[in-house]
Amino acid sequence: MQLNGKHTVNAAPSVIWKMLMDTDVLAKIVPGISRLEKTGDNTYKSILDIKLGPVNSSFTGNLQMEDISEEKGFALKVQQHSKIGNANAAIKIDLLPLGENQTEIQFDGQAKMTGLLASMGQRVMGGVSATLTKQFFANLEKELDKQ
Amino acid sequence: MSTTNGWIGKSVKRVEDKRFITGKGNYTDDIVLPHQTYASFVRSPYAHARILSVDTSAAAAMPGVVAIFTGKDVAEVNGVPCGWLLHFKNGDPMKEPKHPLLVTDKALHVGDAVAIVIAESAAEAKDAAEVVMVDYEELPAVTDAFKATQAGASLVHDDAPNNICFDWTLGNPIEEVDAAIAASAHVTTLEFVNQRMVPNAIEPRAYNSSYEASTDKYTLYTSTQNPHLIRLLMCAFVLGIPEHKVRVVGPDVGGGFGSKIFHYTEEALLTWATRKIGRPVKWTSTRSESFLLDAHGRDHITKADMGFDKDGKITALRVKTYANLGAYLSTFASCVPTYLHGTLLQGLYTTPKINVDVTAVFTNTCVVDAYRGAGRPEATYLLERLVDLAALELNTDPVELRMKNFIPPFDGITQPGYQTQVALQYDSGNYQGVLKKGIEMLGYADLRKAQKEAAANGRLLGIGISTYIEACGIAPSAVVGSLGARAGLYEVGQVRIQPTGKVSVYTGAHSHGQGHETTFAQVVADKFGIPMEDVEIIHGDSEAVAFGMGTYGSRSLAVGGSAIVKSIEKIIEKGKKIAAHKLEASEGDVNFENGKFTVKGTDKSVSFGDVALTAYVPHHYPKDLEPGLDFSSFYDPANFTYPFGCHIAVVEVEKETGKVHLKRFVAVDDVGNIINPMIVEGQIHGGLAQGIGQALFEGADYDENGQLTNGSYMDYCMPRADDFPMFETASQVTPCPHNPLGVKGAGEAGAIGSTPAVVNAVIDALWSAGHKVKDIRMPMTSERVWRAMQS
Amino acid sequence: MSVRIHVRVNGVDYHHDVEPRTLLVQYLRDTLRLTGTHIGCDTSSCGACTIHVNGKAAKSCTMLAVQADGCEITTIEGLSNGIELHPLQEGFRECHGLQCGFCTPGMIMTAADLLQHNPNPGESDIRHALEGNFCRCTGYHNIVKSVQYAAEKMQAVQQNKKEVAA
Repeated sequence: MQLNGKHTVNAAPSVIWKMLMDTDVLAKIVPGISRLEKTGDNTYKSILDIKLGPVNSSFTGNLQMEDISEEKGFALKVQQHSKIGNANAAIKIDLLPLGENQTEIQFDGQAKMTGLLASMGQRVMGGVSATLTKQFFANLEKELDKQ
Repeated sequence: MSTTNGWIGKSVKRVEDKRFITGKGNYTDDIVLPHQTYASFVRSPYAHARILSVDTSAAAAMPGVVAIFTGKDVAEVNGVPCGWLLHFKNGDPMKEPKHPLLVTDKALHVGDAVAIVIAESAAEAKDAAEVVMVDYEELPAVTDAFKATQAGASLVHDDAPNNICFDWTLGNPIEEVDAAIAASAHVTTLEFVNQRMVPNAIEPRAYNSSYEASTDKYTLYTSTQNPHLIRLLMCAFVLGIPEHKVRVVGPDVGGGFGSKIFHYTEEALLTWATRKIGRPVKWTSTRSESFLLDAHGRDHITKADMGFDKDGKITALRVKTYANLGAYLSTFASCVPTYLHGTLLQGLYTTPKINVDVTAVFTNTCVVDAYRGAGRPEATYLLERLVDLAALELNTDPVELRMKNFIPPFDGITQPGYQTQVALQYDSGNYQGVLKKGIEMLGYADLRKAQKEAAANGRLLGIGISTYIEACGIAPSAVVGSLGARAGLYEVGQVRIQPTGKVSVYTGAHSHGQGHETTFAQVVADKFGIPMEDVEIIHGDSEAVAFGMGTYGSRSLAVGGSAIVKSIEKIIEKGKKIAAHKLEASEGDVNFENGKFTVKGTDKSVSFGDVALTAYVPHHYPKDLEPGLDFSSFYDPANFTYPFGCHIAVVEVEKETGKVHLKRFVAVDDVGNIINPMIVEGQIHGGLAQGIGQALFEGADYDENGQLTNGSYMDYCMPRADDFPMFETASQVTPCPHNPLGVKGAGEAGAIGSTPAVVNAVIDALWSAGHKVKDIRMPMTSERVWRAMQS
Repeated sequence: MSVRIHVRVNGVDYHHDVEPRTLLVQYLRDTLRLTGTHIGCDTSSCGACTIHVNGKAAKSCTMLAVQADGCEITTIEGLSNGIELHPLQEGFRECHGLQCGFCTPGMIMTAADLLQHNPNPGESDIRHALEGNFCRCTGYHNIVKSVQYAAEKMQAVQQNKKEVAA
């Protein structure tokens, strides 16, 4: 499944970058996250509770940041396991300064699913990912407001 | 022989319906045995993965768990076998990798079973299966039959280079066919995919296996189309347990369409496990599992060239097909794309040169085997698409082009059968007849006018024709044996007259919707001249019925019915001896008619019931005659039967959206003599729905990782009630010359003829508006049709 | 943990303790052994499990048994009085509206719901009403005819009753 999109937020790339690198902030803005643990440099262990259409499922797995280019972007690798199947994703995230206090966050990547997620979930997956993306940016803006 | 009180040919209402309409059917999942346990499977979520470890300890501690078995536990047991041996062109036997009951080292498709968990309840079994920890290392997968044969493709089985199971050819030498194509005035070429279909019987597969220690006997209830065949394969090839110690029962079965012919791993595994735990084990597939595991159908990638001379006569046909077999060899997988496909490529035409070349390929997908029509729909699709496309290319009428190329009528009695270029000899046919009747029913000439008018008004109307032939009544044992079948394909029919004149009939055929309890009873009641209520048809139980090969390939009536007729003849023959004795006449003077034995030229008679009673109370009885009136017969057909017909679809395509509206569907089928017209019509309807479903709605989609992305009813487009118009059907009767009932078989016809008719209609609609497209990939979704119009 | 429920099924009262996750269809099949209601899928798509809950058609796989607490339920086994067939049952037999019989109970229950609120449905009404029920055997042609047969029969009975009353 293709994952891509962009969103403009009213903050400088440096501010956004700091938030994305902060485990506590991340735990607040990534939708569905119930636990996020830093396990090493740029690697995290996570538990996510996500509603997929009619099904609620708990995902456990790893998040990994690679190809980090300070305040510009990074590649996010996601490996998640659940009773209804596994999901692996590789997403490139870029921060583009639009002005002094404006940044366009772009993401582009692919997710690979197995099990019931693949055979039954595909139809709802597009909608789910759109919702999660929306929530992510809404949460991000909420956190920005706080700061 | 004697006849008849007219049961044959009547639309008798079905005997079996009473229990189904009142909820009293008895399907496998309805059966619960004392001390029942339930199974659930741990299945690979990956299409191709090495299994690094399996940890069942947490699962074993779950509530209600009775036992857990992994691949290691069943390692000594054989895999499930393939029933048809083919050879490479070079003479080497096909690759037959083991299809284990549970995998140990590698999972080869999504759903491959790693472990079985048995518990006190189905829910507990499922709960425990979810906590079995399996460590996988994902490997690259292959899903496309052509790509899988290319250099660098990942291997499904290490011992099958290029993933090829076998290659195979049939027909005239390729050099001759190449030359004929090269010399043709016109060549129509088509490259297409006959997509993978999911059979989707509404009853999911279910098994319930038990073992009785005191008698050392097993019983397996199974949703199968052929209980005896399952018993034979499971006992002799997989488990090595004596056949007479196993009873296999196929109770009411909720549809099969081919998918319940095959011997599945779960049948053998449950039978193995029941003895291990000493309790009955039941497993009912979920629909999600059905999608991943029940043998799929079709999945051919084909390139075909058809040559024509300057007068429009077909000169040659050349076919190259890559057939996807899935990850393992299913029971009849090898014969479907070969002997059930290549042998039908003569179609209804006099094509003088034909060559077909098939490469059968392993991929990391569900196994592929017979699905309603099995090979014959693929052959028909290929031929009828080519002929209709040629008509468009040559700017000639598709009816005319067909008429010009049809084999002339022959009855198979006074005129010989038709010898094809691809091994078969057709029994009898009148192909012009069905096409003529079809276009009459349709009002063809008027519709063509309407099509022109519609086109002028910017509407896209299309008429698609398809004429088909199929080889049914499977099959002469010696013939199929010489082609690689590992079993005979005769049928068994036992007729037991009870002392009171009531009749019990035991057939090796199996009904899972076909209505044998009615049709077979009609035949028996007709032949004996007795009421239908006096006849009971017993099927589906290996303990009750001597033997049987089951129901598939439209064979039940042609082969199973013929076996019953043979037994009826033996009973009448013996009955005449008893009657002659009772009537003090000579045996040669005794006739049997309308339920009575009479003596020629006298008014003396004795009823069927009296003769039956005398046979069992033989106080006054012929000296050298055994008591009783009970005969069993094996019928091995002399040839296949060859039903044929003409299907015509009328569609309107929405210009703006590409949506296809099926406006009319006309089907004229010639299935030989008809015992019950209502049931035959019902069989045709069902086949049409599946064939039209393939053209417009259905198709399994695997992604490049081998995940089935539409493995549920939410995602796989099953045809619904409002997807179809009322079907317009009619029959023509050209009797089969070589079986006693003159029947040819009706189960698959609808699914064979209809698919190309619909596709041809859509292509025709597009050409009417100047979009000269050759092919639209099935299923022809709005998007695909719309894109075809933009190109 | 289990929950006590009381349901009235085909005119008989039942009190049972059920696991909260038990689907209504499982309760009917496994506990009450009313196996005429079938399970054909796991996504509430096929309609083989259709029954009547408080007089309305419902897919019994979309309901938990505990949700049916206090409800009046009719299954295929209770559709007729056991002596005479319901006009729909008769229609399915007369018009060859079934082959393997697996979807039939659900089809009949759905059609019965249709005829309750539309006694004289046209072909497209019937096809639309049966959209949530899969049949793989019949191509739906004879199912449509079966429902038409039943509708006509039920109307004729109504007409007779009216005439008798008048």
